[in-house]
Amino acid sequence: MSQPQIVIILHNTLSALGVSHLISDHFGLACHCAASIDEVLSLPADGIDLVVTDPQHYVEHLRYFLPRKSRVLVVADRATNDSQDIILLDSHADTEQIIDRLRQLLGNHEQENTSSLLSQRETDVLRLVASGMINKEIADRLHISINTVLTHRKNITAKLGIKSVSGLSFYAMMNGIIAPR
Amino acid sequence: MQSIPLIQSETKLSDIVIAEPTVVNVLNRFGIDLGVGDLTVGRACHKLGIDNELFVVILNTYLHESYFPERIGPSFKATTIVNYLEQTNNSYERFQIPTIERHFQFLISKSDPGNNNLGLMLQFFMEMKQQLLDRIGHDRAKWFPQVLEAERTASGLPESPLRQQGTDTDTVEDKLDDLISMIVIHLKGDHDRYLTLAVLFALANLKKDIMQNNRIRNRLLRPMFQALSHR
Repeated sequence: MSQPQIVIILHNTLSALGVSHLISDHFGLACHCAASIDEVLSLPADGIDLVVTDPQHYVEHLRYFLPRKSRVLVVADRATNDSQDIILLDSHADTEQIIDRLRQLLGNHEQENTSSLLSQRETDVLRLVASGMINKEIADRLHISINTVLTHRKNITAKLGIKSVSGLSFYAMMNGIIAPR
Repeated sequence: MQSIPLIQSETKLSDIVIAEPTVVNVLNRFGIDLGVGDLTVGRACHKLGIDNELFVVILNTYLHESYFPERIGPSFKATTIVNYLEQTNNSYERFQIPTIERHFQFLISKSDPGNNNLGLMLQFFMEMKQQLLDRIGHDRAKWFPQVLEAERTASGLPESPLRQQGTDTDTVEDKLDDLISMIVIHLKGDHDRYLTLAVLFALANLKKDIMQNNRIRNRLLRPMFQALSHR
């Protein structure tokens, strides 16, 4: 399967490099940091799977971004919820939240990724197991019973072939579910 | 795969090794090298001064998962098994683990530097390695000396756990299984195919050897130690 084509166009060079580095480090995917918006506009639209941009570029080039908004990630300050179907990334979120957000988006382009074997709830449980929580803490955090946690853990182990807590933690790091130690 | 018949005193070493080459690990730890000619188990024992019945039991325990020794013979020496397991631990520490580590390092150096999966797998391996070395340290410092002391004095000694106590409940065996699963099921990105296989085979060999020797620890040495402790 070919790798998704990811283009980054941000006014802030350090932010662009940071996003590129995170994607490369956690998902093993290469990004292209465009020098200008004109370069992005000149690229064949069908060849781009994800554009990472900022609100200024987005607003200035609505005609380009709106038709492909499901493939555009807008890096914004203090963004809490996606609004008007715009996919936002809070630049002030912690590393784990940013990776989680990127994983949600990049997961759409990686149907063969084994993490897609897990349901969203199982991924939530895995994240908490990998963070070192015991079953009761996980149950309290997710507002589910301990038996449900145990069922999720059993399913996770069956799907991934990994049973140790340590192994699950490393799997979670390998797949961007938690930040590396 | 052809199943191996139960080993007898008259069984030729060459027949055993050809049927199951991993048994060379056991022979080497008893000081028997390849080039066994037509040596039988019984003649090898006589040559090396090992108890014949015990050696047969060790080989069968190592080779057959469903084998349980019927009895612990009066001539069985815990010292023989402790010496064997010490050789086994030395082999893990000095040869098998460093070999896997070298293969892993080489694999990472030849793979896409942007792929962090292999680096994380190596970190996981290093964690498993430390746990195995801790277990070996516990064998050397506590369990084996207790067994030898119990045999020497045949006095009542407190039973020692087989594994080092600790907060980490994941066993070395679990982690080895998980690492193998990670490579087989979850490996991603560009990597050198042959070096990956080298890592995988070395891990699988180590896992098999540990599982086989766990049977010798749990089905032979532990009951012997219990019997000695209650004399």
